[in-house]
Amino acid sequence: MIYFDKVSKIYSPTSIALEDVSFTIKPSEFISIVGPSGAGKSTLLKMLLAEEHPTSGTVFFESHDVNKMTRTELPKIRRRMGVVFQDYRLLPHKTAYENIAFALEAGGASEEDIERDVPQVLDIVGLTDKSWHFPGQLSGGEKQRVAIARAIVSKPDVVIADEPTGNLDPTNTHDIINLLQKINDMNNTIVILATHDKEVINSLRRRVVTLDKGKVVRDEEKGKYVL
Amino acid sequence: MDQITFKRVFKWGFINFFRNGVVSVATVLVMSLSIFMIGVVVMGSIFLNGVITSLEEKVDISVYFKQDAAESDILSMQKSLEGLPEVKDVKYVSRDDALKIFTLRHQGDTVVLQSLQVVEDNPFSASLEVRAKDTSKYEAISKFLENSPQAPLIATDESGQKKITFRQNQAAIEKLASILSTARLMGFVASLILALIAILVAYTTVRLAIYNSKEEISVMQLVGASHAFIRGPFLVEGVMYGLLSSIFTIAIFYPIFWWTGKKTASIFGGLNVFSYFTANILEISLILITTGFILGLLSSAFAVRKYLRV
Repeated sequence: MIYFDKVSKIYSPTSIALEDVSFTIKPSEFISIVGPSGAGKSTLLKMLLAEEHPTSGTVFFESHDVNKMTRTELPKIRRRMGVVFQDYRLLPHKTAYENIAFALEAGGASEEDIERDVPQVLDIVGLTDKSWHFPGQLSGGEKQRVAIARAIVSKPDVVIADEPTGNLDPTNTHDIINLLQKINDMNNTIVILATHDKEVINSLRRRVVTLDKGKVVRDEEKGKYVL
Repeated sequence: MDQITFKRVFKWGFINFFRNGVVSVATVLVMSLSIFMIGVVVMGSIFLNGVITSLEEKVDISVYFKQDAAESDILSMQKSLEGLPEVKDVKYVSRDDALKIFTLRHQGDTVVLQSLQVVEDNPFSASLEVRAKDTSKYEAISKFLENSPQAPLIATDESGQKKITFRQNQAAIEKLASILSTARLMGFVASLILALIAILVAYTTVRLAIYNSKEEISVMQLVGASHAFIRGPFLVEGVMYGLLSSIFTIAIFYPIFWWTGKKTASIFGGLNVFSYFTANILEISLILITTGFILGLLSSAFAVRKYLRV
């Protein structure tokens, strides 16, 4: 369970990214955070990752206040969250396989586990034949699928996808969203999807939290993209 | 850090070094320049010391005694000189020794040897050759000689001046002493400045190499890698830069000093840089390799620390 409790992020009086945001994400939920650019979607996700800290309020991941974690606790919590970014953020000097394996190595997994799990997720995202390609040799859609594979390989409790389809064409967008749904269905993994893509939201028919100017303006089960 | 993580840190350090190809080569080259500078400083100070010491060895003063001075008196003077803290050693040259040295030196010069035979009697005086621990101490030793109880035994020249060579060479010795101490000081200051520049250059180079990986470091943190797991490979890479640079530098030092030694030996009165290099090659290699290791390790540690703050 994830709980945002009265979270505000104020950079300056004229630049308020989030204001008094509260909502709960239940286990195995697929939730979309929507809103126009600058509504605070990315900021909200960064707070969950403790990449940024709220000005006030608390972000809970289960019973942990993620912004009060120590330097050694934080990596452990982050390994339970898989992250996917709009710009993929793969490690450029590592192959697709190594990028995925890195997430496991970081957690101290054994070589046997890595050799078993990495091909498995490469198969799920359909990139078995490209496993030894470097990110520079992959297309945008392929890079994003590697990123998803990296996000799910350590069997996280939550996958956080920040505009994962922002740089992709409709076909690839469709594939990526399908993958995220599959992940949610397969392991009951929470999926948090931040997007401003109307088509995507309307096809999903899942819970939608709408942000505008840093505030939650709507929170609906089986929501649509309305602004 | 457990064993498997330790292994991975090394594995990735090596792999990253090779995959960063151009950056790694450039870093090693620039770092070699730094280590080269440090090496020159080390060699320079060893050589400068050698030159200074050999010059100091050449400085001594001789005290000449009257022909009729008794050997026992001279020897007792030697004893008291040796008791002085400023004195390094005292060599007694008897009249016979002096004659032998003279004939040996003028072997083959028949005119000189014949004129010596004409004199019949041994014309040489006995003397004491005194070497001080430090060139600045000759003044004091000379004073001591002039005031010692055996002073009347010391030969005098026409003007009544005692025959202590210090008086004749006083200006030259004092000048040399001041040049030598200035040379030591300047050598030390120059080494310090050069070494500092070299360290800064090396640090900046490694930092630039790691700056390229700034983005990567933040991604690694978001994926849940611990600080140690992120830092480790960079440290391994940094140490590789440092070690390769030192080895490269030592390899190019060899021909460079060989050539310089050949060209400059005559300037330094027969002292050859190359022979100092080969004589101290173990120490120099050890210093350079240690410097490379520490420089690479610390530079990358500091550089990564800067980007490990998400």
